[in-house]
Amino acid sequence: MTTRHRPRLAETLETCRPVPPAKPNILKTLLAVQSALGHVQASAIPQIAQVLGVTDAQVAGVLSYYSDLRTQSPGRHLIRVCMGESCTANHGGRVLRAIQDHVRVAVGDRTPGGRFTVEQMSCAGNCAVSPTVMIDEDPHGRVAPSDVPSLLEPYR
Amino acid sequence: MKPTRLYISNDTSSRAAGAGQLADAWIDRSEIQLIRTSSRGAFFLEPMVERDMPNGREAWFNVLPNDLPRIVGGVGGTPIAEIPFLQQQARFTFANFGITEPLALDEYQARGGLKGLAAAQILSPEAIVEALRISRLRGRGGAAFPVWKKWQAAQQAGSEQKYVVANADEGDAGTYCDRMIMEGDPFRLIEGMMICARAIGATRGYIYCRYEYPAAARAMRFAIQKAREADLLDCDDYPFDLEVVIGAGSYVCGEETALLESLEGRRGVVLAKPPYPAESGLYGKPTIVSNVLTFATIPNILANGGAWHASLGTEGSRGTMALQIGGRVKQPGLVEVPFGLTLHDVLDRFGGGMAPGSRFKAVQVGGPLGSLFPESQLDIPICYDAFAEAGAILGHGGIVVYDDETNMVELARHFMAFTADESCGKCTPCRIGSVRGREILERVQAGEGTAESLDLLKDLGETMKATSLCALGGRAPYPVLTAIEHFPGEFVRRQG
Repeated sequence: MTTRHRPRLAETLETCRPVPPAKPNILKTLLAVQSALGHVQASAIPQIAQVLGVTDAQVAGVLSYYSDLRTQSPGRHLIRVCMGESCTANHGGRVLRAIQDHVRVAVGDRTPGGRFTVEQMSCAGNCAVSPTVMIDEDPHGRVAPSDVPSLLEPYR
Repeated sequence: MKPTRLYISNDTSSRAAGAGQLADAWIDRSEIQLIRTSSRGAFFLEPMVERDMPNGREAWFNVLPNDLPRIVGGVGGTPIAEIPFLQQQARFTFANFGITEPLALDEYQARGGLKGLAAAQILSPEAIVEALRISRLRGRGGAAFPVWKKWQAAQQAGSEQKYVVANADEGDAGTYCDRMIMEGDPFRLIEGMMICARAIGATRGYIYCRYEYPAAARAMRFAIQKAREADLLDCDDYPFDLEVVIGAGSYVCGEETALLESLEGRRGVVLAKPPYPAESGLYGKPTIVSNVLTFATIPNILANGGAWHASLGTEGSRGTMALQIGGRVKQPGLVEVPFGLTLHDVLDRFGGGMAPGSRFKAVQVGGPLGSLFPESQLDIPICYDAFAEAGAILGHGGIVVYDDETNMVELARHFMAFTADESCGKCTPCRIGSVRGREILERVQAGEGTAESLDLLKDLGETMKATSLCALGGRAPYPVLTAIEHFPGEFVRRQG
């Protein structure tokens, strides 16, 4: 863990420390850590387990189970391309390829310089204006491959 | 001069279509006042702008920023009452959509909100369950279980502590009605959950909202805070409180036992039933888990009576269903209609036919685990029984249309890969079967399939159907096997 992260982590974990009769909630804690730090480093597992009073394995198990919990720091902007059925039917795959060609990165990876991380998502619930690209929390609908450069431009 | 009030939806899909850019472009214009509403669900018309005219609201469709003078001048609008997509619907649960500001509690009440709760408050818990029995409401999340039976079990379970949980993990691709309810009419969900709490004696509720819906979670949290400030959350003789909990991207957490595991902070793994959550659910206490749409349907039932609800729909499927049309249609959007229309009617009257330049190939109903229907089978009525008889599911009401550019082998592989990714790993047929299924389809796709490949896939599919613990493994073969059944040529051509 980087030293920069340590105080934030301790601070966040204090807010998640279970007060009896409340039981420890691993998922909620991991989401809180991710929200504060951007990701949950594997090296933070023992500290999280200790605060919650659970085993390291229990924390690691939850961390590896949920696809939206990340152990790597994402880029400054997270691009998620929807691969749900409606987006697939409307050629969301072409949009994903156009984004990959434009920012030159594999799905799941971060661009050099850290501007973007590109991921797929299984459904954004935005099916009536598909294909969908979520950038951070901004939904973009009816995206054509040719829209990609102007779509990404504002996200520096 | 008084500024003209313009109504623009703040729904995620409206914003994705450009509603946010319009609002940003017009923010400093003194001649208008912008009101951000929910969406009418006619997303093919978004971004749509409405204003009051002498004979009611008129709308402008697919608006661009430079259309403002036309709208302020009142030129070229269409009366809402003349939009066929909206006029052919029967809007009850979605009656407020496009009209109110989602977080305005006074508007919710002015349009009949909280009447269901008021009616429930003068009924005994048993009488509330009786109203639901008469209504013949079945759960809208997918399983279609009679709601009153669940509630009765939880009501009769002896426990000091009970819970009510809204399943807002709307993971079925092609569905978005729960998201729309949470973003667009959040007090309706709260009201439905409070009626349930009163019926079963729950003092605490949770809304388990998927990670992909940040705007819905925000709207719900605001609405809960407003309800709390208005002293709405406390039932007459005991306190009730509600909390929004966020998931982290697991499809199987839409299954109720997995959802409760996740709510307790663990891996979202499916548990064997019984015990059912109504007897032993969250932290081992009696818990009602119902879908958002189910809870949102309940206020009207209490306000208008169970018989009113039972008067709509078909014999086995009473009431209305929120159908969500997507894929390659001309008019994608949300449609609330009584059960009983045929799939063909829905696609024709509401979907408006195919998107320009595309030809129909197949339609999938019920999300990624739903069966595919070819053109020859579109006369099936939309109701639980007809779908069950056809070996299909209505699920959560998602309808996705594929055009003739769709490669069925690739689509089948996509479905199996989805299940392999999302399997919780608890039962072998799903965990291993989905991976083997995906591998067989990859071989077929690469031209390495043999005559035995499809037989093996069918055999595997039947095994998964018969032996999986939950609907993920049990339903995963359906889209794959119906793809093979209706488009055999595509699979056979790929064989080596």
